[in-house]
Amino acid sequence: MRRVDWRAGLDRLRRLWSGSLRVRIVAITVALSAIAVTIIGAYISTSVRTNLFESRKDQVIAEAGRAATSAQEVFTTAGEASEAQDLESVFDAAADAIRSAVTAPLIAIRRGPGQDGQAPFIDQASDRWDDSMATTTLRSAVLNSDGDTVSWQSLAIADQSGEGTDPAVITGSLLSVQGQDYQLFLVYNFEDVQQTLDFVQQTLLLGGMALVLLIGAVAYLVVRLVVGPVRFAAETSEKLAAGQLEERLPEKGDDELATLARSFNRMADSLQRQIRQLADLSRVQQRFVSDVSHELRTPLTTIRLAGEVLYDQRKAFPPATARTAELLHTQTERFELLLADLLEMSRYDAGAVQLEVEPTNLVRLVEDAIEAVMPLAKEKKTEVRLVAPGGYFEAEVDGRRIRRILQNLLGNAIDHGEGRPIVVYVDSDASAVAIAVRDFGVGLAPADMARVFDRFWRADPSRQRSTGGTGLGLAISQEDAIVHGGDLDVWSEQGRGSCFRLTIPRHRGQLLGGGSPLDLPPDDALDLVQDQGEAS
Amino acid sequence: MNARILVVDDDTAISEMIGIVLKAEGFEPQFAGDGAEAIELFHVMRPDLVLLDLMLPGIDGIQVCAAIRAESGVPIIMLTAKGETTDVVKGLESGADDYVVKPFNPKELVARIKTRLRPVLPESADTVGIGDLVIDVQGHEVRRGSEKINLTPLEFQLLLALAVKPQQVFTREMLLEQVWGYHYKADTRLVNVHVQRLRAKVEHDPDNPRIVMTVRGVGYRAGAVS
Repeated sequence: MRRVDWRAGLDRLRRLWSGSLRVRIVAITVALSAIAVTIIGAYISTSVRTNLFESRKDQVIAEAGRAATSAQEVFTTAGEASEAQDLESVFDAAADAIRSAVTAPLIAIRRGPGQDGQAPFIDQASDRWDDSMATTTLRSAVLNSDGDTVSWQSLAIADQSGEGTDPAVITGSLLSVQGQDYQLFLVYNFEDVQQTLDFVQQTLLLGGMALVLLIGAVAYLVVRLVVGPVRFAAETSEKLAAGQLEERLPEKGDDELATLARSFNRMADSLQRQIRQLADLSRVQQRFVSDVSHELRTPLTTIRLAGEVLYDQRKAFPPATARTAELLHTQTERFELLLADLLEMSRYDAGAVQLEVEPTNLVRLVEDAIEAVMPLAKEKKTEVRLVAPGGYFEAEVDGRRIRRILQNLLGNAIDHGEGRPIVVYVDSDASAVAIAVRDFGVGLAPADMARVFDRFWRADPSRQRSTGGTGLGLAISQEDAIVHGGDLDVWSEQGRGSCFRLTIPRHRGQLLGGGSPLDLPPDDALDLVQDQGEAS
Repeated sequence: MNARILVVDDDTAISEMIGIVLKAEGFEPQFAGDGAEAIELFHVMRPDLVLLDLMLPGIDGIQVCAAIRAESGVPIIMLTAKGETTDVVKGLESGADDYVVKPFNPKELVARIKTRLRPVLPESADTVGIGDLVIDVQGHEVRRGSEKINLTPLEFQLLLALAVKPQQVFTREMLLEQVWGYHYKADTRLVNVHVQRLRAKVEHDPDNPRIVMTVRGVGYRAGAVS
């Protein structure tokens, strides 16, 4: 559970990182400046510490040297004045001299090791002195030194509360009392140096953090200044893309952003101009279509009426004239179909197609379409079977267009079906309805399959057609399917027949999910036909 | 007496050709080439039916249609060059009874004309009630109480078709067959537009019809006699 949270958090961070230039730039700036400030801070802190320690140490050593000199003087003077003088008072005098020369350290006077004879006086030390404070290294360094040099070592001593330790320096110098070596140890507490150092480090840390924050804020501000216009440009181009062609960026100044704005606006101008031109072109085309429609149809109507009148009287004509009347009749009809299809196609090209949708039962529609092609089917001795495995077949469609698609598909199936049965499937799911028209005729070559929806393309020019198609049928059917938000696709195999499948969303404005309620081709089609073949 | 038909079209060739077809069927056609002439000639000849092209120079077909409809219930059949939705609906709304799309064949045109000239009325009693209306079948009259409501022959036929079978729900296809004489799938907008026009004349509140009732998803039926 916790792990999941952690991962989700990481994911969110990653998205934030890759999703926002602002976040990325500010984060990088802060990180880099933090590293720089840390390095500088560490350097300052180290050098301050070294300097503080060195100067205090020098001071301490000088002091210890003076103390040793004063004590030595006391001892020497006492030795010269009177040998019988009270050693105790001499020692006290020496201790006074030391105390007056040094600043509150621990003091210890120890007789050097390995000396014969009576000790002039016993060792003395402050209360908190501990012999372990003076290490053997220090002791031997002191013994090997001459009277003027001061040896030293760092150490830690218990602090005043007795819980922690304070840094300290111990100095050792050699005293000579009546020919015997004595060691003078002085312990200086460096707590005040440490305090100063702590304070400096704290100040450095705070200052560094403030600096990093400040740099972060500056970076944010700068990024905002740069990214703001870029983001605004992005929003504006979104609006442009959504069709608000009037949107422009404000052009201020001469900097890079102003250049961006200017070229953006130039691009928008050019887009707007071209889209306007296209829109004008489309309007011109639409007007042209409607003009052609009227101008061509009026004479065609006259020709057709005349042709019909002649055709009705053809029995009274000599054979050649009668045949002429027949040809005039059929070709006028063909011309009319061609004109109608051409006009429909150009309406689609002009984007001037309007759907009239109403809830329609598709099975009823299919039955109508089958009924309409029955005369042709009978002529070709083709059986048309309908397979509609139950379900709810209501869909919002333009019935006229769907019927046109179906009649077209059925006409083609009968034309190329070689007289074998044709199966029409209707099926639906929650979001879409599908109709498939399957024939078991010659089928199409793979290369032809890609071209079936091309305008004026015919499967086999040598084939005699009975539906008198214009070559635009499937192209229009496909447009009809697309304008419904649907799709018309084809499966075919040479020798096994073809299957055209129409899939349309159940409700107007919905999109197809990619699937279809029917497979292409529906599996059981062959079984159905074979069953039927065995039965008959 | 042969039916007189006013043919309005600006294309003389098509007018002449339609004339030949109509004469062959025994009608008496007269011709007008533009809207103004059409309205003038309409007043002079009092035709039994008008064939009206929608695209006319000057006063266009829609206006001519409305002008004729304003003073007469004479059957009007539009000749439309465009199969465009808006033109057909505009024509029907301005009062045309039916339409044929150019190019049409002569049999289709003659069949349309004959249906409109000799409407087949359903067999019924002399008077039929629908809602608060009484239809006098013989007198071709519709009354609400003592008030007479003027209907065109087509509207009368539509109302009567519904009234004689008050239990029946009529689909648009059934009405197309019974009233317009279409035996194949035709444009159901014919029914929609004329039901609207009829309601505008007979209903107290056309938005809340009580006489020509809508049966959602099916069609129409007569309101109960009150």
